[in-house]
Amino acid sequence: MSALEEQIRSAARQYLENGDVSVVIGYERGPKGKVRPAFVHQADDAERLVWSPECNLNLVTYLHNYKHSPRRGVPVPRVAVVVRPCDARAVNLLLHEQQIKRENVKVIGVTCAGSEVDGELRQACTVCQERVPVIYDVLVEPEQPVEVPEAQDDYGDVAEMESWTPGERLEYWAKEFDRCIRCYACRQACPGCYCFECVAEQVFPHWTSIALELPEKYFFHVMRAFHLAGRCVGCDACEVVCPMDIPLSKLNRMLAKEVEALFGYHTGDDPETLPPLATFSPEERLRL
Amino acid sequence: MSENVFQPKIVAFLCNWCSYAGADLAGTSRTQYPPNVRIIRVPCSGRVDPLFALKAFQDGADGVMVLGCHPGDCHYQQGNYFAQRRYALMHRLLEFTGVESERLFVDWISASEGKKFAQVVTDFTERVRALGPVPIKRQTPALQEVSA
Repeated sequence: MSALEEQIRSAARQYLENGDVSVVIGYERGPKGKVRPAFVHQADDAERLVWSPECNLNLVTYLHNYKHSPRRGVPVPRVAVVVRPCDARAVNLLLHEQQIKRENVKVIGVTCAGSEVDGELRQACTVCQERVPVIYDVLVEPEQPVEVPEAQDDYGDVAEMESWTPGERLEYWAKEFDRCIRCYACRQACPGCYCFECVAEQVFPHWTSIALELPEKYFFHVMRAFHLAGRCVGCDACEVVCPMDIPLSKLNRMLAKEVEALFGYHTGDDPETLPPLATFSPEERLRL
Repeated sequence: MSENVFQPKIVAFLCNWCSYAGADLAGTSRTQYPPNVRIIRVPCSGRVDPLFALKAFQDGADGVMVLGCHPGDCHYQQGNYFAQRRYALMHRLLEFTGVESERLFVDWISASEGKKFAQVVTDFTERVRALGPVPIKRQTPALQEVSA
């Protein structure tokens, strides 16, 4: 058991024993040894919680299940959630969008050394400069400080694709989207995707059919990327859960790059700054 | 219209207060412009969700125009500023996913700019004609499917 796990468990135990929260959302090991999300309700069960680089989901998504009172007269549940630095910015996103209340959420922030996907360090983690969450109630720290990589994110992969011709890009995306089975796992795993009724499933207005053809798949993925423009925190949970390995992070990273270049905005750094599409500057004239 | 050349379908969302009046002026002053454009009147360019453009492409439009009041002239003070930010990102997203961003045209046209409206529609039609059919068009248009 690592020092991180020990700290996560003791924080969870304390919260549950004091009655600060009714549930702690973290990770546990399943019967086959894989990590999976865990919902801990009893202080004694805090021993189930684990932490490892394989913990590559965004648990903030589950906060949407605790937004409302379960029945009349019962207060909104209080929840503690284990987050990485990128996930922590999703907490700020939801705070800003008034989806959650700060007093109802306890954030157990983990000093992150990067998460792994299939045993390899996630691409975004190799250039990630933030190792300590921007928002936390308890900070989980390792004995040795985590090294920040020297390489900064220059969006090289996105820039390379932008140098292609439109035909090549269409061919690339048609090939990638072709595998999509529209299981909507990307949407379910995303903390920013919480519409009561998703555009992809709305019948009135009927935005798109359920057909598994390129136009429908294109519509779904471009729609989802656009809805996350200036809101995506770059946790790559969508890509991690995708059963068909569609490189969804490329779409999100491309928009993140543009949002940063045009509006100087980085999602979730603080809960006060208005996101770029919720505000404007009367002087600006953008290239249209 | 000649049968031999490609006739693009163009959907134009015009804001009620400036661009629609501009198109009206183009009509009343008998200015010629291509009949490829289908005009939809909306209250404000801020009403035109970029998903409207995506849906139009999906349902067979080869080009989408969004025309609104000049910045500062919006009837609702700020609608066109919001539209400007949204379309700036949508343009880049379309370009990145391989659909030529020229197919989505955003401009500001005031009620007195009938000539400009006709000019803009003519130029845009020719540009889309050169690009050819949109690659992400559904095989069956949505309306036929519903009525079938």
